[in-house]
Amino acid sequence: MKEKKKMTLRAKKEALWGYAFVAPTMLGLIILNFYPAINTVYQSFCKTGDFGKGNTFVGLANYQKAFADPEIWQSLLNTVKYAVIEVPLGVVIALLLAVFLNNNKLKGVSAFRTIFFLPMVCAPAAVAMVWKWLYNQQFGLFNNILHKNIAWISDPKIAWISVGIIGVWSIIGYNMVLFISGLKEIPGDYYEAASIDGATGINQFFNITVPLLSPTTFFIVQTRVIGALTIFDLMFMVMDKTNAALPKVQSTVYVFYKYTFDQGNKGYGAAIVMILVAFIMLVTVVMQRAEKRFVFYN
Amino acid sequence: MNGSHVNELASFTADLIYKRRAFMKMKKVLAIALAGAMALSLAACGGGSSSGGSSSGSADAGSADAGAASSGALTINIWDANQQAGIQEICNDWTAQGNPEVKVEVIDWDNYWTLLEAGASGGQLADVFWMHSDYAQIYMENDILLDLTDYIAKDGVDMSIYYPDIAAIYTRSDGKIFALPKDHDTIALLYNKALFDQAGIDYPTDNWTYQDMYEAAKAITEATPDDTYGYALNTSNDQDGWYNYIYSYGGNVVNAEKTDTAIDSPESKAAMEMVRMMLTVATPQAVVAESGTDSLFQSGKVGMITQGSWMINSFYTAENSKDYAWAEIPYFDRNGDGACQKDERWTCYNGLGWAAAANTANPDAAASLIEYLCSKDAQVKQAQLGVTMAGIPGISDDFANAFEGMDVSAFTKVEEDGTLYARPGTRNSGVWQTPMKQAGGFLDAWQAPDDPQAMSDACDRVAKMIRDAIAAE
Repeated sequence: MKEKKKMTLRAKKEALWGYAFVAPTMLGLIILNFYPAINTVYQSFCKTGDFGKGNTFVGLANYQKAFADPEIWQSLLNTVKYAVIEVPLGVVIALLLAVFLNNNKLKGVSAFRTIFFLPMVCAPAAVAMVWKWLYNQQFGLFNNILHKNIAWISDPKIAWISVGIIGVWSIIGYNMVLFISGLKEIPGDYYEAASIDGATGINQFFNITVPLLSPTTFFIVQTRVIGALTIFDLMFMVMDKTNAALPKVQSTVYVFYKYTFDQGNKGYGAAIVMILVAFIMLVTVVMQRAEKRFVFYN
Repeated sequence: MNGSHVNELASFTADLIYKRRAFMKMKKVLAIALAGAMALSLAACGGGSSSGGSSSGSADAGSADAGAASSGALTINIWDANQQAGIQEICNDWTAQGNPEVKVEVIDWDNYWTLLEAGASGGQLADVFWMHSDYAQIYMENDILLDLTDYIAKDGVDMSIYYPDIAAIYTRSDGKIFALPKDHDTIALLYNKALFDQAGIDYPTDNWTYQDMYEAAKAITEATPDDTYGYALNTSNDQDGWYNYIYSYGGNVVNAEKTDTAIDSPESKAAMEMVRMMLTVATPQAVVAESGTDSLFQSGKVGMITQGSWMINSFYTAENSKDYAWAEIPYFDRNGDGACQKDERWTCYNGLGWAAAANTANPDAAASLIEYLCSKDAQVKQAQLGVTMAGIPGISDDFANAFEGMDVSAFTKVEEDGTLYARPGTRNSGVWQTPMKQAGGFLDAWQAPDDPQAMSDACDRVAKMIRDAIAAE
């Protein structure tokens, strides 16, 4: 066995500086992330009092109530439905755009990249407000152009799709930038060799680009799935509280917000959010398993 | 051969220099960013509220005493941007009497309560801020607000001059007073003359019953294009809409003792039946939920809405304000004598309170400011500026005169020939107030106004909602 080496003065000093430099980040994480997270777990077992005072421990009562509440399950289903629209469409469209905009010979390529990335720069609330008026049944641009009278965000059958489309529009720019950086990593030789062998552009796309891009794709899918499962602002901004389609669109975080802030029931809200966390963890584990099968690393 | 080596070396060196420069640059940027972040967080902890020089309206708050003023200055938080300028002006009068400077900051309604709660749970609150009937009880019970009882006794403030219902909202069950009444509001009927002309019918009068309103709404709906209606009911706000039907018909939403509801009584059901009738000739609820009654009205798509006095300015300054006029809120002729008695015309009324934070650094100044804001002089000025109607009865005329060219006396006349009821609420109203307007509450009936049974069932469901909520408090 090796004896533990004693640290020299210099090494000690260096270590101290190391701690000093990570301290701000660690403090931030502990105060802003870890402490609230632990507190949320604790609160989910409590009947909470006003202003964080007078919490009483009630065991699993909040969870029992949540598991028996169809609203929670419906909201989880709504969230999944939103993710099913946002993630695949957001990835596919962004990938196609990235392939087209990866060509530096294209005129105005940086202008296009900027245009597609712009939604990412806008405040989500502002984006939602603009879309809300685009979708408006009476005065909205869509109905005026199409000469239709469609209740885009009030008809429970289509409202979830309408909201999902806003999500896709908002995210393609970000996904696209990640894809472009992924595409830059793929050596040009592969394409040269492939075209000498007579592969068409489409062949090259499916046999070179897609597999070699799979690490980027996986990263995007994983982060976007988590992002989509925690969606809140779109539903909150676009749908009025008396919108009949709301029960079929509201996400789990929306329901969490409703109980925690509208009704001041923080314990129940915490339990709802813990259920969501468990669900997200499950999805992440499944995706990590899938990574080994589908993702191709050089 | 040799040349290529030199080239390689040169490019390597250049690369190294470039990288080093880039690294130094990054370090510099990082250092600045870190320093900035630290300064920011320090400022956030210490200052709490130092945004927007534009919000301080006083011209003489110049650089000379800026340093001194910032330590003693009071911060006010409100949620209505329409009132900011007027309130700042009144506060400046107070400052001119040798008191500290006052800064009025606006935080919109939704964020206001989130921030206030966060501040109350261990952060910093503004020194003086608005309190609302929905939240007053919880804030008073938890000693978040400054107890004004002793100040009021010491300075001889006469509590009897205020609207009693509003003063009562801000008085705790043990008699301690935590806020003084700032204002009050009533509801009136707003109509678009252009649409009445188009339908060729008479304008609303102060003697209208709900039945008259129904006939007019029907006429306009039939005489105008498909997307234009005679009436629209704001389903996401109750105070200015269907609550008033219920009280005029003799029902209630929450009783005076806050122990029960009569929303499933025959009177309330008759009122909601009238609401249902109105909805058959009104803008569909789905459209209202998307666009809001105010936008629909201002777009000329709706002939009549009911609205509160706090919204006058928005219509007074609207593009087509010449076409808009107010009438008293309709009544229900309970005894069938063809005339309106006091107990047949009901308008919801509510009033905000001026409260201070219990942990304010300057409680004496905060209490003094509140007493000034709620003094008769300041209340008269508030009315004259058209900010809101006063929290003290008898100065309604000042308010009615504030809007030149628009007759807003409908809001004040109702206080003479109608009955005012305080906005119904329980200790934690949020638990039932929003759900009763959603699916499972009234929403289903509003969506399908042709079915009388659906409305009656909805009344029963909402009654259960309110009773369950009261039981859980």
